[in-house]
Amino acid sequence: MSSTVMTRRAALAAGAGLLAAPFLPARAQGQRREVRFWHAMTGVVGERVEELCRRFNESQAQVTVTAVYRGTYDELINATVAAYRTRTQPQLVQIYERGFMTMLLSNAIVPVHELMAANGHRVDWSDFIKPIAGFYTWRNQLQAMPFNSSTPILFYNKAMFQRAGLEKPAATWQELEEQLRRMKAAGVPAGTVMAGDYHWSWFENYSAINDMPYATRNNGFDGLDAEFVYNRTGVVGQVARMKRWLDDGLMVMAGQGFSPESVFTSGRAATYIASTAAHAGVMAARDLPWDATYLPHEEGKDPRNSTIGGAVLWALRGHSDADNGATAQFLAYLAKPETQVWWHKATGYVPATNTAYQMAKSEGWYRERPTQELAVLQLSRGTPTANSLGFRFGNFTQTMMAQREEAERAFAGQKAPQAAMDDAVSRGNEILRRFERLNQGRY
Amino acid sequence: MSEAVTLSGPARGRLAPFRRQTRRVASRAGVKASGFEGQLLPLLLLAPQLLILLLFFFIPAVRVLVQAFTLQDPFGQDIIFVGLENIQALLRSAEYHASAWASVVFTLASTVLTLVVGLVLAFATDRVVRLRGGYRTVLLVPYAIAPAIAGILWAFLFNPVVGPAAFLLHALGIPWNPTRVGNHAMVLVVLAASWKHVCYNYIFLLAALAAVPRTVMEAAAVDGASPLRRFFAIQLPMITPTIFFLVVMNVVHGLFETFAIIDATTRGGPAAATSILVYKVYVDGFVNLDLGGSAAQSLLLMVFAMILTFIQFRAIDRRVSYDLGQ
Repeated sequence: MSSTVMTRRAALAAGAGLLAAPFLPARAQGQRREVRFWHAMTGVVGERVEELCRRFNESQAQVTVTAVYRGTYDELINATVAAYRTRTQPQLVQIYERGFMTMLLSNAIVPVHELMAANGHRVDWSDFIKPIAGFYTWRNQLQAMPFNSSTPILFYNKAMFQRAGLEKPAATWQELEEQLRRMKAAGVPAGTVMAGDYHWSWFENYSAINDMPYATRNNGFDGLDAEFVYNRTGVVGQVARMKRWLDDGLMVMAGQGFSPESVFTSGRAATYIASTAAHAGVMAARDLPWDATYLPHEEGKDPRNSTIGGAVLWALRGHSDADNGATAQFLAYLAKPETQVWWHKATGYVPATNTAYQMAKSEGWYRERPTQELAVLQLSRGTPTANSLGFRFGNFTQTMMAQREEAERAFAGQKAPQAAMDDAVSRGNEILRRFERLNQGRY
Repeated sequence: MSEAVTLSGPARGRLAPFRRQTRRVASRAGVKASGFEGQLLPLLLLAPQLLILLLFFFIPAVRVLVQAFTLQDPFGQDIIFVGLENIQALLRSAEYHASAWASVVFTLASTVLTLVVGLVLAFATDRVVRLRGGYRTVLLVPYAIAPAIAGILWAFLFNPVVGPAAFLLHALGIPWNPTRVGNHAMVLVVLAASWKHVCYNYIFLLAALAAVPRTVMEAAAVDGASPLRRFFAIQLPMITPTIFFLVVMNVVHGLFETFAIIDATTRGGPAAATSILVYKVYVDGFVNLDLGGSAAQSLLLMVFAMILTFIQFRAIDRRVSYDLGQ
């Protein structure tokens, strides 16, 4: 098979230059530079994004950041791709953690570390908390600005636990299952509800917390030639556990037309394993006696840190130095501890820096809201190992979709959990190989 | 697609083009004689339509054709020509086979369901004397509902946790759970898609039934044929051209135009059980960002559609009578 590689970089650079010229706005003295910022946040958090930009715009006179909602994370990365290919990309985009490798090796981005240095902004990069910095750092440099980071925790309905004479969820999966059975016997409709992103909490974070490898090459951190190995770890047991819970009525699926969060907040399930970002919805529920705790771990294991999810802000290439300067100015504002604390309080996302965390703590923020500190505590639990640092896979969305499909086959009883995960791994590895082939020598 | 159908009058005109087609062939010369002088005006008149076709069909189609043979990163940085690899990978993949099979099941089931229900409704309203307009309006309403809304409506009604229809099924002892069992999800999307599309079939069939000459029907009635007998012996054979047309339209609709309803009802799940070919193209291209693989699927889908249409016209056309004079 003949294969020709056409490098488009030269054509791209020329094209960008030609196209950019007519669009350079005739700027009068004192006029503000505009930074277009595409995001995927809806509801309350969407409003907070708007507010964040408004606060920044009012804080200085040179730059106006315009936040534009461009659909879900999936739609947003698509819109970014389309915009980049037609040279109409914004300066700043919010891309989910699964898109890290796609963005990193796209040659379409300016690493945030470089961007800040080039524009004379001093950011204390070592201040970013380990699980976040570790996830987005490549060659010792943070590649994108941490924005909204979260981690899954276990929300629970206190009244339902009390009904079965229990105080709170147990620390291990085994004990938790016993508790759910007792609650079921005591008339609680269901023990738990399956979250929309169960692959993240039940498989990925499970592997990190229980110190199990997910893939070779340190979960992909050491090279594009990584191969999934989770079909030989406890993940298979997790699939079996989910199937058993579904079969025994301990777990329900919300299904299309209804949301897992509503199943929990309307008192139809005793527990809900979900992102800390679910705080907003859970707190908004009326008369829900809820609390939250750490994710469970396997019996006899020393629980490690969980990993993050969420998104970061990527600065895109193809803009003038002045525009990049404006983008950097906004990112510098974002990295300030005061902004971080405000964002953390307003949205419930994890504070990205240690300083911000300490500030919120010293202000007494967690005394009344202990569950908001859970994420930070869980993210820094135990001694990190190579298995708990995070995941670095190309085409990560695609491998995850394949994995979910196979897991769902197991839930429906079409395949045994082991066979399902074997197939998920072989499909996933094929997808990883395609990414490797396309990005040879770049990582 | 000719979706702009007027409901007033007996709608005889609907059937007319089919009837006349065969007769026109003989007088082609006559048509030509009344044509344009010179070529500029006809070309000008065609230009807008051709431009639209070029922009929204030919250019994308050619790009798909090119993409299908490449491996490329989404940002278009590198394009590796891989020949037939994408297509070979698809033909090997069990998921693609499953998706093709799901498409066949979905399309056949929804085509049969919409046609049969549409026919029953058309037959019934054809016999209604009072309030015929009222019945027609009620039966046509679903067609005006956006697919996404219809899909969410069905998803909610049959949601195993909160759906009223699901409660009913559970009460009857049916372990209904479309979020876990693939076949249940398939039933749900077939119902949702058919419910929306039955109206389309209904208007065409109603118009066709109205076009059956009254004299023939009355003669049969005088001879003592029951309404059902008259339907099977006279009306049904006479409306076969419309039924054939609807079969083609329903298959095309099922294969290509049900994306929205699937996205809203099941999102292709569980375990890709309702991920028909068009939906898989979307997921692989726009969620998974696998442009080459997605383009290869589009290409196969295009070929598949062409073969299908060809077979339909060859096989069914011969048995359909367009001539009412027979």
